Amino acid sequence: MQNPFEQFVIHPILSLHIGSYDLSFTQSALCMALAVALTTILMTVSVRSKSLVPGRWQNVAEMLYETVFGLTNDYLHDEGKKYFPFVFTLFMVVLMGNLIGLIPYSFTYTSHIVVTGALALFVFGLATLIGLWKHKLHFFSLFLPKGMPWLIIPLIIPIELISYLSRPISLSVRLCANMMIGHTMLKLIAGFCASLFLLGFGFKLLGLVPFFINTALMGLELMIAFIQAYVFAVLTCIYLKDAVELH
Amino acid sequence: MSQIPDDLGQKIKEAQSKSAPPPRPKEAHMSPEMQAALKAATDFSAAIVVGAFLGYWIDRWFGTSPYGIVIFIFLGFGAGILNLYRTQVAQNDKKK
Repeated sequence: MQNPFEQFVIHPILSLHIGSYDLSFTQSALCMALAVALTTILMTVSVRSKSLVPGRWQNVAEMLYETVFGLTNDYLHDEGKKYFPFVFTLFMVVLMGNLIGLIPYSFTYTSHIVVTGALALFVFGLATLIGLWKHKLHFFSLFLPKGMPWLIIPLIIPIELISYLSRPISLSVRLCANMMIGHTMLKLIAGFCASLFLLGFGFKLLGLVPFFINTALMGLELMIAFIQAYVFAVLTCIYLKDAVELH
Repeated sequence: MSQIPDDLGQKIKEAQSKSAPPPRPKEAHMSPEMQAALKAATDFSAAIVVGAFLGYWIDRWFGTSPYGIVIFIFLGFGAGILNLYRTQVAQNDKKK
């Protein structure tokens, strides 16, 4: 059976070395470029007709837009419109990464902690900067909840600090782990299917079992692809809300 | 050509009010319980990882090994509980 982790190896398509840096155009970069292109096409071409009764693709575009618009509106209220483009971009990058990864022979860039980590750190850094810019030094009151007895203040500040610093890690690890687990599982079960078929005769029929399990798993993965992109957008909104409102 | 009844407009309005779409739920097709479960596992462990990381580097800088990492893993544990608590409070507030 093939190694189920082999699918996560990055292969260069166009080699490019500058100095000691490897800047090759990889299959991961190709999928990212594809995601950007597909998103742009989906959001421009499908709504070109601007029909009042949306067609299939216009419906998809409108649903994606409304989902994220609802989120920013719920969490950030009037400020939501300012952050909508940012949250929507993030949502589409993650969603397209997850969906493109489900096509056989393609590559899931969201299964790499480097990619999700970069996205999460960007969200975290942006939220922190917005908080500092909006509230100046008052921002640090985020680490000191109101009405604390002074005795436990030395204990609560490091705990709040750790809790705050753990956000980008939990955000990136969740997305990456979910995608990696899903794809490893699909590959493993597909491997069972192939092995049973190769065993011959009596086992050939048995080989259909993992085949059908994989079909069901594919549906599950499709759902997880959406849920994870949605969760990423929700948490981005929550972090931005903390920075904007300082509860 | 068939005649248009006078009360056609009234009838259309009645039919429309009967089949009006229900108000759209705020959460898009996902139960809050599932969201919370997905969130809890990583929130909790990430805080402990951050605590251990901070403790390790404090030990390296101040030469206090092993007290830094021990204390900060416990603080990380506390932060993990705090993360879970915050999520739960937010969920409860939403349900009200």
